[in-house]
Amino acid sequence: MFGKKSLQELIAELKRDEHVTHWHQIPEEEAKYAPFPEAMNEKIKAALRKRGIDSLYKHQASAFEAVVSGKKNITAVTPTASGKTLCYNLPVIQRILDKPDSRALYLFPTKALAQDQKSEINEFIDEIDVGINSYTYDGDTPANIRQIVRKAGHIVITNPDMLHSAILPHHTKWISLFENLETVVIDELHTYRGVFGSHVANVVRRLKRICKYYGSNPTFICTSATIANPRELSEELTGENVQLIDNNGAPKGKKHFVLYNPPVVNKQLNIRKSSTRVVNEIAANFLKEKIQTIVFSRSRVSVEIILSHLQELVKKELSRKSIRGYRGGYLPNQRREIERSLRSGETVGVVSTNALELGVDIGQLQVCVMNGYPGSVASSWQQAGRAGRRQDESVVIMVANSNPLDQYIFQHPEFFFGGSPETARINKDNLIILVDHLKCAAYELPFERGDSFDGVEVEEILDYLAEERVLHEMKNKWFWMNDAFPAHNISLRSAAQENVVIIDQTYVEKHRVIGEMDTFSALTLLHDEAIYLHEGVQHQVEYLDWDEKKAYVREVDVEYFTDANLAVQLKVLEIDKEKQAGNSMLEYGDMMVTAMATIFKKIKLETFENIGSGPIHLPEQELHTNGIALSFPPEELEDIDEKVLEQILIGIAHVLQHVSCVRVMCDKNDLHAVPEVKAVHSQKPTVFLYDRYPGGIGLSETIFKQMDAIIAEAVDYLYACPCEEGCPSCIGVAGAGDKGNMKKSVRKLLKGCMEN
Amino acid sequence: MSIKSKLQRMKGHLKTEKQADNQDAAHEIKNQINNAETNNKQDNAKKGSDLPEKWEKLDFQPFDFEGETSFQRKVYYPFAGENKTLKSDMESVHTWWNNIEMDHPLSSRDVPLERMMFFDTETTGLSTGAGNSIFLIGYARLLEEGIEVTQHILGDPASEAAFMYGFLQEFSKDDYLVSYNGKSFDWPQVKSRHAFVRERVPKLPAFGHIDLLHAARRLWKHELPSCRLSIVEQEKLSVRRENDTPGSMAPLLYFDYLNEKDPEILSGIIEHNDQDVRSLIKLYAEISKRLNLTYQEGMTAMEHLQIGHWFEQTGSPSRALVHYEKASGLSGSGREKAYHRIGLLLKKEGDINSAKENFLRALAVSSTPFPDSWTELAKIAEHQEKNFSDAYKYSRQALEQLKSSTRLTGGVKKQIEAAEKRVSRLSGKLDGKR
Repeated sequence: MFGKKSLQELIAELKRDEHVTHWHQIPEEEAKYAPFPEAMNEKIKAALRKRGIDSLYKHQASAFEAVVSGKKNITAVTPTASGKTLCYNLPVIQRILDKPDSRALYLFPTKALAQDQKSEINEFIDEIDVGINSYTYDGDTPANIRQIVRKAGHIVITNPDMLHSAILPHHTKWISLFENLETVVIDELHTYRGVFGSHVANVVRRLKRICKYYGSNPTFICTSATIANPRELSEELTGENVQLIDNNGAPKGKKHFVLYNPPVVNKQLNIRKSSTRVVNEIAANFLKEKIQTIVFSRSRVSVEIILSHLQELVKKELSRKSIRGYRGGYLPNQRREIERSLRSGETVGVVSTNALELGVDIGQLQVCVMNGYPGSVASSWQQAGRAGRRQDESVVIMVANSNPLDQYIFQHPEFFFGGSPETARINKDNLIILVDHLKCAAYELPFERGDSFDGVEVEEILDYLAEERVLHEMKNKWFWMNDAFPAHNISLRSAAQENVVIIDQTYVEKHRVIGEMDTFSALTLLHDEAIYLHEGVQHQVEYLDWDEKKAYVREVDVEYFTDANLAVQLKVLEIDKEKQAGNSMLEYGDMMVTAMATIFKKIKLETFENIGSGPIHLPEQELHTNGIALSFPPEELEDIDEKVLEQILIGIAHVLQHVSCVRVMCDKNDLHAVPEVKAVHSQKPTVFLYDRYPGGIGLSETIFKQMDAIIAEAVDYLYACPCEEGCPSCIGVAGAGDKGNMKKSVRKLLKGCMEN
Repeated sequence: MSIKSKLQRMKGHLKTEKQADNQDAAHEIKNQINNAETNNKQDNAKKGSDLPEKWEKLDFQPFDFEGETSFQRKVYYPFAGENKTLKSDMESVHTWWNNIEMDHPLSSRDVPLERMMFFDTETTGLSTGAGNSIFLIGYARLLEEGIEVTQHILGDPASEAAFMYGFLQEFSKDDYLVSYNGKSFDWPQVKSRHAFVRERVPKLPAFGHIDLLHAARRLWKHELPSCRLSIVEQEKLSVRRENDTPGSMAPLLYFDYLNEKDPEILSGIIEHNDQDVRSLIKLYAEISKRLNLTYQEGMTAMEHLQIGHWFEQTGSPSRALVHYEKASGLSGSGREKAYHRIGLLLKKEGDINSAKENFLRALAVSSTPFPDSWTELAKIAEHQEKNFSDAYKYSRQALEQLKSSTRLTGGVKKQIEAAEKRVSRLSGKLDGKR
């Protein structure tokens, strides 16, 4: 039959598909209400009633009471569409009604979210009909408005980057805010992890220091998606005791969560059909029926590839413009435009990196397709929340990659649906990050001997900075004495401070900047001759000017993409901790990593076959970080040929890296693994895992502590993988051939680490 | 591992604060000073204990406040030679400002001459944040006996209250600041520093403020490569400085002073600041003289044009007209603009015929006519004279002129669109008549 298929029909079709390995139905859930709290101002109650709200969800009421009556710091765990904004807007407005001088500071991880929130809270304030001023303060705020925001903004809505580089260093212009600051709202708490979180925790330390100077002591209200340790994370981030609010009372619509494992196309190698292709087919089925669909993919490159394929697949039904890409690297205006057209329904499909995971308002979509496991359970649920935000039926389809992480998740759906979500970590005492923010703090306000930095002893570092002539010590105080503005040299977002600007020179008369990228990614993505995709259009890098950090690209139309190799060397500087793991030795400490891009391959789009390669000439990058080394006893491995041993170690590195990433909730790019047949420091066959950020962000330290469990999980995983001698999904390479059963060897070596 | 050794090891990853390029120059100056002092070495413990005596050598007196000390000095320059001319210039422009009924950003009406405070600061950096300190505040006043230059020095960063208090003692709400870029830099910076000691010192009074950078930009932005004070001095005030210490070296010299506790290191920058505030007096007089046409040495057409434009914007078209007429009489670029502006002013007053004459003159004096003049002629022909064929002719000329522009900026593109519309409308009107 010709004609339109409904969402229900498409769901039914999907149910019959043999490659669906798990079908999880999340039933509708009734709302749990609580009456308006006693203490709530009548004006607020009236405004809520005007909106048709006669009672609060349970968690909203708890949040209000804890903050207003209990004066407590709170963290509210709020899934998508659970009315989290009322969790902070109600207490904040109440406080301003109680005391008209009082101020609040809202921090959102991105500018776009801040804009969204401003419109929302202003609507509400209008309904209450009181003179509360709320403003966003970001790079786009015009100079004449800035004055007003500083002096008269009851609620200042901004992001951590602005707080770091524009507000705190200019605190003398914000005296009325800091003297009267009663509430700090930190939305999307779970995004503050890793390097970014560690930076932001230090910005909060600085904020508290300035508040103390002006005599205020604000309470913190955080909201977070579901993670294992929301309370721990918020206490780390704010340095305060925090009460957890997790009695979510919001209703939920029916949701189908489907795990889809693509068919095996090569039995021996256990290679599955490319997830990208499967995603294209599934998404196209929905898009053809004009059902609004979002596709999440992990890398910028894959976003662009899927986008161009989808546009091709549904060109009969939809115009090119109806399907858009969305990722970091697009310029802000372009992103705002895409968000608008999603809300209006003009755009039917969007292909995105995790950039759209955050609460940017793009309205309500019906279907979410994920290309591979997004790397963490929390991320998965955030992405899934993009479909069916407002209570109606929706479907989420996760399509597995062949990689071990995905296959591991698909083997253990209980991990996903029942088990505890991951832990978000920060390491705010990372020495490099700490020193950065101490400089900023000293710029803002001199340190006095005996002062701590929110509890951290810092005299030694201040002495060091005085020796470096950044500070000047005088009468037991350290004064900033340098003509630099430290916050400008410190970016909260990325390890590398400098970004490579991407310049499109397709049109000679009109060169234009189309995006930017951090230097470390640029090594492998913007080298000479690399194919760089932007909004589905292929560009070839004609020249990468490394000194000037500019990549000149030109539009091309070729049938391949490029993939670059990174050669890595490791040097152990100092061992801080060590312990025996079975017959092997596990060490944790300081390491120096040098990375160099070596060659790139050209890979055909259709078949993924290698059709050529070339060298990359870029300078070596150095990284001083923390890592662990797992060294195996050489005497047990004497009989093994060196080449084979190398393969075995690669296999171990592969499986350990993936299992560890699941454990510590980090991206594969945050935690690298390197095998060495004869490590310099120990002369033993060794596998290293290290944090890919200067000074480390606490990942390897956690792994050191949990290594027993990680090894056990790795061994289980190898047992469960259906291949016989190893495959790309478990040990990263096919194990058959003259090297013997690789999978067995890997497992044997790992098991050796378990026997105590 | 101790934190310090860890820091040493990680030094490669730690960002070093960029020092200004002239670090070497600063060290050179310091070395010269050290050599001149012929190895008058002191041990570190003694360093600084005799600071007041050392400051006294530069004529700075200590100013004590709540256990803190800052340093200040007053220097008088009698009204003789150049300064005598300066005094009479200032008196005459001051009288002029007081006699004309006009609100103008440069006006010193109702401000007694001796309350004008020609003001400049030296800071530890160019950023405007809380970590940027002022270490030198200087200002000049015209008193009976001569020009008085007062300077306050922050002897050490822990004496900011004494520094600010000393300054506030000398400063009252009747004072009127005259600065160079003070509205966006120096004064906000004073406010920021004041905030740190606001509990201990009086409030900053409200005051009037003339920023001469704005005026200099008005007059000379097209003529000068930049409107930095040193360039304006050289090109427009014929002030020559010898052995001047550039202001950009102020931060590094001050950091050296703090480490060495030797005021001599700052003598160059103190001299620089002294010269700066006196230059501001001259600048005020010279700009005012150009405004009231008492400047004798010959103004450029561009200056007249810019001043005329400024008067137009401050609601004084008659004064604007005088300057435009002066500009139109001078050779060089700008004549066509002058006639064009005169035309516009006359058109506004309703004198269409004279306006037309001036637009025609604007087109006649230049080999690369001004498309706007054609457009104005077209408008007059169309709306006032109802002469559509002339209007059509003129608008065609405007369009051609625009199309031959070498640079097609967005603005020009819009003008072209408008001109095309006019041409097609007029050709329609002509067709209708036929």
